[in-house]
Parts: sequence; structure tokens; C-alpha cells
Amino acid sequence: MEFTARYQDGKFATVRDVVCVIDLASDPVVLAILDAETREILDRWPAEASYLLHTRMMELRIANRERPTGARLAVTGLANMKAALNVLPKLSGHQRADTARQARIIVLATAALLSVIVAYLYGIPLLADRLVGVVPAEWEKKIGATADAQIEASLTEGKGYVVCDTNPNSVANKAITRFATEAFAGLNSPFAPTVTVIRSPIPNAFALPGGTTYYLSSLIQASRSPDEFAGVLAHELGHVYYRHGMQTLIATSTTGLLVGFVLGDMTGLSVAAAIGASLIDNRFSREAERQADDFAAKTAQRLGFSAAGLVDLLDRVAKDDAFSRALALFSSHPLTDERRAFLKALDTHDPTARPAFSTEEWQAIQDMCPPPAPPPLPPIVHAAAN
Amino acid sequence: MTESTAEVARGRVEFTGGRGELLGIILRGYLLMIPTIGLYRFWQGTWKRRFYWQNTVIHGEPLEYTGTASQLLLGFFFALAFFLPIYIGLFVLSMQETDYLLLGYVVVAAVLWFLAGYAIYRARDFRLSRTLWRGIRFDQRGNALAYALRRFLWSLAMIPTLGLIYPWMGASLWRYRWRNSWYGDRRFDIGGNWRLIAGAYYPAYFLNALAIVATAAWIGTTKDLVAFGELTIPGPIGLAFCVGCVLILAFSIAFYRTRVASRMLSTVSLGEAKLTMKIGTGALFGQFVIYLFALIGLLIVLALAALIAIGSIYAAAAAGGQTPDTEAVVSMFSSGTANVVVLIVIYLIVLGAFGMLAELILGLGWWKLLARGATIEKPESLNTVAATAEDRALVGQGLADALNVGAY
Repeated sequence: MEFTARYQDGKFATVRDVVCVIDLASDPVVLAILDAETREILDRWPAEASYLLHTRMMELRIANRERPTGARLAVTGLANMKAALNVLPKLSGHQRADTARQARIIVLATAALLSVIVAYLYGIPLLADRLVGVVPAEWEKKIGATADAQIEASLTEGKGYVVCDTNPNSVANKAITRFATEAFAGLNSPFAPTVTVIRSPIPNAFALPGGTTYYLSSLIQASRSPDEFAGVLAHELGHVYYRHGMQTLIATSTTGLLVGFVLGDMTGLSVAAAIGASLIDNRFSREAERQADDFAAKTAQRLGFSAAGLVDLLDRVAKDDAFSRALALFSSHPLTDERRAFLKALDTHDPTARPAFSTEEWQAIQDMCPPPAPPPLPPIVHAAAN
Repeated sequence: MTESTAEVARGRVEFTGGRGELLGIILRGYLLMIPTIGLYRFWQGTWKRRFYWQNTVIHGEPLEYTGTASQLLLGFFFALAFFLPIYIGLFVLSMQETDYLLLGYVVVAAVLWFLAGYAIYRARDFRLSRTLWRGIRFDQRGNALAYALRRFLWSLAMIPTLGLIYPWMGASLWRYRWRNSWYGDRRFDIGGNWRLIAGAYYPAYFLNALAIVATAAWIGTTKDLVAFGELTIPGPIGLAFCVGCVLILAFSIAFYRTRVASRMLSTVSLGEAKLTMKIGTGALFGQFVIYLFALIGLLIVLALAALIAIGSIYAAAAAGGQTPDTEAVVSMFSSGTANVVVLIVIYLIVLGAFGMLAELILGLGWWKLLARGATIEKPESLNTVAATAEDRALVGQGLADALNVGAY
């Protein structure tokens, strides 16, 4: 019952050839380590405390818990390795136990991470909602102004928006301003939304943090009734009221943190971090769209129009536009039918009430930006679109 | 002493690991990273290090890596503590006015650059203190913050000098690292100075500068430009100039790395034992060329795989008899979530494939060059090195992982 090995005592950087002999008579059982030439006993290792280390192929490295951490027996040669495993039968058992321990750590850590992700997925709308209350309105307005300048530059290639009707006292502008003011009346919002109609071939409308809202001329041309126009406008004002732009910013930032954690790259340089963040934010924006629809429906009840038309309008322009259809793959909007049903259910306005826009006003709004539109601009899509 | 005994007295370093074994470790790691949401990367990293360490045989005894994956995992949690304040700071910053914003980003970049220096030093400490040879542990002492500050201040001096001061910076950092490196109770020393770096750095620097200036001058003076679709690209000769620039860059990197490693590491000593390093520029440049061809091959394979995938989607859309149209194909992906998942999977496959190639060719290649180029004079003098007390204070090198610095 013996095998040969290279021995390091873990105290000095020397290597000796040794013969290891098991001493079953002693209690506890020990492994005697003898110098290969002089047969002098160098050490007696408690056999029970010996364990295997991971090492290269065709070698066993044995350490001992009751010896310095660097103390080793290195066993090479197939016959020799077999002899060592025979002499110390518990070695592989220790290694299996270690593998099992590692597996437990991995499973536990994964479960912990998974629960963080799940909690995050369901908690982010709540979290963003709470956090946004802490952000001062002044900050949000500043962010809105910065975003406004950036979007204007990229949408128009630096040329600036073409505002359809620059006279704030025109019939159309006064009607739109009145609508926005009435929509926000009594809501105690820190924001006073401003709506600007600008000339663009892209049928879209969007609200920025802080209340600046843009309605693009093509979307007016695509509207078949004042209710459709009012519905989309109220939906955008809903984004302003619920501070969705700000919430998105918070949600995106915290998502980036989480995805960065999963991928291990906290600097957020990786593309996967960005894609993963958009995946999670997608969920978040659907929630936001539902809230904005809800706002539109409630505004419609108060101001006397039907908000269900907004879904038809958005659906129609999305169908008309090949580019936005391609982008609809990444759509953050809830499914059209679902939305329509939701809005119809809340559509309980008094049909005899004064309409949101009079016939003259609606005509004036339609005439703000008469076609033909200028040559097409590259369509840009951003988080707060629609 | 006869010549043959002088030969025997030199310690040699061998590398016994094969590429296939490393490939197995990497692939198994990728597979296990899927169910563990990426957490297996700490275990994969540990296995890779075990592979590199235990196959590096110095004077007959292999290195041993004693670090564990749990330490890396724990280190990563510590890194989070560093990053959260920076992250929140960045968030608040993004809400400020443009003037402050720009200034703020500069400050954050400076903080990250400083932290990177700290992380590099701590990562080296982590690896060295978990490396055993002949049962004795290596160690990195010194102060990581002092190192980071030194690196940071030198970096500041790099800006006005257009990088010309680098040999002094490099020599200073090499000295700090090596003179604080220990094997057991014996300290490493390094004799190399800025001249050894300058000899490789300036030729590479000016060669590249010359190549870029010449290319720009040629394209600028001859207006050698052609339209390529909507893009304007340099004409044939100009393009040849650009390719030349890239070749010169690759060659000068190979030249610089091998030359500096050979010269600087050859001045490293541990007591009486002295290290000699000889790496040829051609060997590293050859690896670059292999890597380039492997990349091209990989791109072709990935493109073929993408074609097959698109083809099968098309076939699936055609199933049911009617002619497939874009509408049908698009409708298969009309759920935004499924789409993003597909994008992420594609991205991870591409990233993983490229990372694997870099590790198999460049990472392993450089390690082998270092191992095979090294010899040790008077290795028997190391027999008297004694162990020192354990260094268990380190929890990992999480910051380095988080900042994406450090290798192996």
C-alpha cells in the first residue's frame, strides 16, 4: 500500500521525491511521507484530512486540511495514480462533495438573480411611479428642453421645425390651447402643456417631459373626425400628466443597471445591455400606454367626445406607412383590439354635450398645414412617440 | 563549470495545454451560462485560469491556481457597491443643463479611468496571491490606490505631450508593479528603465504617425475619392494606403509588445534567480494573421447560418400552400418581445463566437509565447524561499470584471 509522489511541504520552495505509505495501525489513520532515497520520515498526514485538487490531466494533486495550504503531494503515472486512489479511498468523495457544493452555490445565486429580475419586471412601473414623485418638476422641464432641442435637430437635420401656424391667437391654435387647458383643469399638475402643430410627412404625435407636445401635420390630415384628433391629443397629454417621459428615463436607467449586472459589464458599453434594456422597457411602456389611454378616456368623458377613435387613427396611419409597419415589430403599444375594447368600455360621454371642437374650429385645424407636404425626412422614432 | 552543467542550471518553462481542452472549457461555460443567467461566467473564468496555470510548467513544477469562483462572485457584489453611486451620479447628471452635463461627463470619465487603474492592480493582486509554485504563494503588495494615482497623473501628462511621455509612464508603472511583487518571502526586482520601452515605443509611434499623415496627404491632395452608394470612400490607391496603415498598425503592435516584453521581463529578478525572455515579433504577427483568417472564416460560417435560418423561416411562412410574402414573414415576428429575444440571441452568439476566437488564438497564443520564451537563471537559488502568512483579505477582483479590464 504505497505510491511515489513529488512532495512540497508548503513552508519552503523545495520539491522532493517521496514514497507515501499508509499506516492503518495508527489512530487516526495516517499517510507517512518518506524521502525516496533515505527513507527518512518527512511528515505524517492525517489520511482523513487529505483532499484532491483540480489539476491537469494525468496528475493527482493532494493537499491536506491540517497542513499549510501549499503542502502538496503530486502523483503522476497511471499505476501510481491508481495506487494513490486505492490508498486514500475517500479522495474522490471529497472532490464530489466540492462539486456538489459549487453546484448548490450556482443554483442559489441563479435563483436569487432570477427573483431580482422577476421582482424588477413587475415592480418597475411601481418603482418608476414612486421615484418620479421625488423628481422636481423644474428638473423635468429642463430635461424636456434638452430632449426637445435634440429631437428637433435630428428630425429636421438641424433646419428646425416648420410650425404650421405661428399666430397663437388663430382660431385653430386657440382651440387646441383651450382643449389642453381644459384637459388639465383641476388635476393639480405642475405642468402646463403646450401643443405645437408642425409640418411633417410622418403621421405622429409625441409628448416630451415637462409638457411640450408636438402634433405632426400628417396625422391631422389622416384624421377623419375631430374626435380622432382629440383622442390622440388627449392620449399625449396623458403622457405629460403621468410624467411618462421621466418615468421612462428612470426605468431605462435602472434596467441598464440590472442588465449590466447580468452581463457583467457595468460600463454599459455592450449592445446586449441596450437591447435587453429595451426588452424590459417595452413592458414598461405598454403599461404607460394603457395609462395614457385611460387619461384620454376620462378626458373624453369630461369634455364630451369619444376617445375610441384614437385607436382607429393610429391603426390607420400605422397600416399606411410601410416604415412604421416594420417598426411595429418593436411596438410598445398594447394590441389594437385590446385597446379599442378598453376605450369603448369607458366611452360613456353624454352625446348631447358640446363637442370638443366646433365644426369651424376643426376646419381651421385641418387647414393649418395644407398639403402638399415638403419632401420626406428620415423618420425618427423615439421612446415617447405616440 | 562546464557548459553542459551551465545548461542544466537554467530553468525552462513549458506549456503543456492543448487548444482543444480550452475550447471544451469555453463551450461548456457558454452552455452553462444560459440556465444560470450569465452567473456561470465566474466558474468559467476560474476553469480557464486553472487550465492556463496548471499547464505552465516552470522548471519541472506546474503553477497552481487556488482561487475559487465564489470569490469572484463575491468580488462582483463589492464592485456593485462602487458602481451604484457612480450610476446614480450619472443619472442625476443627465438631468442637468448642457454645460454642466459636458463637464460632468468629463468628471465621470476621469473617475472611471482612475478606478480602472485601481482595478488593474487589485486584479493582479488577486491572481498573484492565488498562484502557487512549489507550494509557495506569490503576492502583490504595495497600495492599489497609490498605483491608481500614479497611473492617473501620468495619464494627465500624456495629453499635452501627445503620448510622447509614455516610456517614462510605462517604466514607472512596471517598476511599481514588480518591486511590490513577492514570491513567498522574497521580493521581485526589475532593472528596466524608460530606454527599454522607448526603443520599441518611438519607432512604432512615428511609423504609425507617418503612415496616417501620408495617407491623409495622398487622399487630401489628389482628391482620390469615389462614390460607393451613398458613401464617399477613398479610391483604389487611397484604399491601398488605408490597408497599409492597418498592416503597419498590426505589425507595430506585434513589434512593440514582443520587444517590450522581451526587454523588460529580461530585467526581472528574484534574488539570485534571473528571468530571460525572448519572443520574436514574427511569432506574434503570425498569430494576428491567423486570427484575421479565422475571423473571416467565422463570418462566413455565421452568414451561412443566418441564411439557413432565414430560409427556414421563409419555408415555415410558405407552409400552408400560399405563396409566402413579406407580410406573412413579418407577422411571425409581430410580437415585439419575441423579436428582441431573437436579436439578443443573435448578438450573444456573435459576441460569444468572437470572444472564443480571440481567446483561443490571441489569448492562448500570447501565453504560450511568454511561457516558451522564458528561461530562469539559477533556479536552484529559489529552494530557500519560505512561505509567508496567508493573504485572505482579498474578496475578489470584481471591480476589474465590472470595468472590463485585466486579462486571464
